[in-house]
Amino acid sequence: MQPSDWDLVKKCKAGELSAFQELVSRYHQKVYMVIIGLLHDREDALEVAQETFFRAYRKINSFQGGSSFYTWIYRIAVNMSIDAQRRRKRNPLDFRESMDEVLEAQNQVAKDPFADVHDRELREKLTKAINDLTPEHKAVIVLRTIEGMSYKDIGEILGCSEGTVMSRLHYARKKLQDKLSAFL
Amino acid sequence: MKDCETIRESIDSWLDGELNPAESELVRAHVSSCSDCSEVRRQLEKLQLALKDELLVEASQIESLLFWREFERRINEKRSWPMELAARCRAFFATPQIAWAVPAVIVLLLAALSLDAVLPWWRFGGGRNNFASVESIDAYGRSVALLRQDETRTTVIWLYEDQEGENEAAEEATKSGPAF
Amino acid sequence: MKPLKKLPSLVLLFSLFLISRVEWMGAAEKNPQSVQVTIRTILASNKNDEFDAKLKEMEQQLKTLKYRSYRFLKEDSKEIAWRGTQSFEIPGGRSLSVVPQEFQNNRIALKIRLTERDKPLLDTTVTVPNKGNYLYLGGPPHEGGNLVLSISAATQ
Repeated sequence: MQPSDWDLVKKCKAGELSAFQELVSRYHQKVYMVIIGLLHDREDALEVAQETFFRAYRKINSFQGGSSFYTWIYRIAVNMSIDAQRRRKRNPLDFRESMDEVLEAQNQVAKDPFADVHDRELREKLTKAINDLTPEHKAVIVLRTIEGMSYKDIGEILGCSEGTVMSRLHYARKKLQDKLSAFL
Repeated sequence: MKDCETIRESIDSWLDGELNPAESELVRAHVSSCSDCSEVRRQLEKLQLALKDELLVEASQIESLLFWREFERRINEKRSWPMELAARCRAFFATPQIAWAVPAVIVLLLAALSLDAVLPWWRFGGGRNNFASVESIDAYGRSVALLRQDETRTTVIWLYEDQEGENEAAEEATKSGPAF
Repeated sequence: MKPLKKLPSLVLLFSLFLISRVEWMGAAEKNPQSVQVTIRTILASNKNDEFDAKLKEMEQQLKTLKYRSYRFLKEDSKEIAWRGTQSFEIPGGRSLSVVPQEFQNNRIALKIRLTERDKPLLDTTVTVPNKGNYLYLGGPPHEGGNLVLSISAATQ
């Protein structure tokens, strides 16, 4: 039986790096999806994703389990993404190079398993339209899309009420619909 | 029966499963019988799917083991102390409370230091160095007493005249003991 | 909502701007244009127990001089340019000349000379707090008591 997130967190607090590795393995893609949804820049998103887990690792002792681990890590990811957007700084050169190595190892030309199913042009337009939203509106759309999170969980991550989440989602979706109506 | 405009406000919440059973049934019933609202539903679902696909494509490029290796390198590598300090400062000052607290403290400090322009009795630092300080005295041979009073912050230079026959009352006053 | 979120940064920028304008850090200060010097002449004696109501604000300081009676005689206020001189007439044929010397750390350095019929009685250099507490110069006898001069200065 797989250990729960909280069991892994307790092991991390005891100093077991392997437990944190398991947590990274469970959430790194989803965290990255949240971040790339907000930043739309791969290098920045990778940097922020690494930084998110790094911060979580350093602050693991302060996590008391009041919320779920994924709520906590997403909150860190969203806040760091919003900060990164504001700063708009480039990564230090040496780290960028190492991230390039990661991407190269992955075979940069990504195979798109969905190209023959969904409209590529829609996705390109969608990316641009999402990027035109404010960070707060982007965040609710992305969190809802990736995890199908409840408004309550999204509100917990973003530090706002369910009503605010609902109205932001409604506004963001309306904006996207208006911009992409020709492609939908 | 609610009209289309009202229903459309709730279609996305209904798709998200956030409506209560009664509201949910109301929306479902309307959407299933209204072609316009049904079209809105279709568009929202397509939008959601397209965004999810886009994000999944991006995320699929990230391989778990390599991500972890980079992370390990990061935690093993000691950051130079200026970088670490900068990162900590950035995190500290980015919190909303601190973002407000720092300028608020600066403004309050400046206000406290500027109060003496408006309130003459106010002295920042509780009245330190509020005496008149005497740099030099030349009394041309007369006696001088230099007195200070902590409680009243008074600095007095008292000149003793030594003129025979003049102001016996003054001499009595001074003879009555120390002036302070 | 957006302007509200930017407010902390704006307040920080404004407060940093204020700091750059404040000269209280003790850096070399420009001398203000002139100094307003006020001399109040008071007669302190033991003839009776009266305290002149006009001296209310300096009652505490005067009573430390242990006289029983204090009477307000006159007040003179003059604006004096830096390094300029002004003289104040003091009862009993006396004169007090004041020369503002320097302004630093919100304190005013004054050169004070008390003379009696052109004969010097006292020469002193003092620094007083700008718009702050008075310096008391006392001792010259007068009408059965002693004169007390309260000296205060404020930059203009």
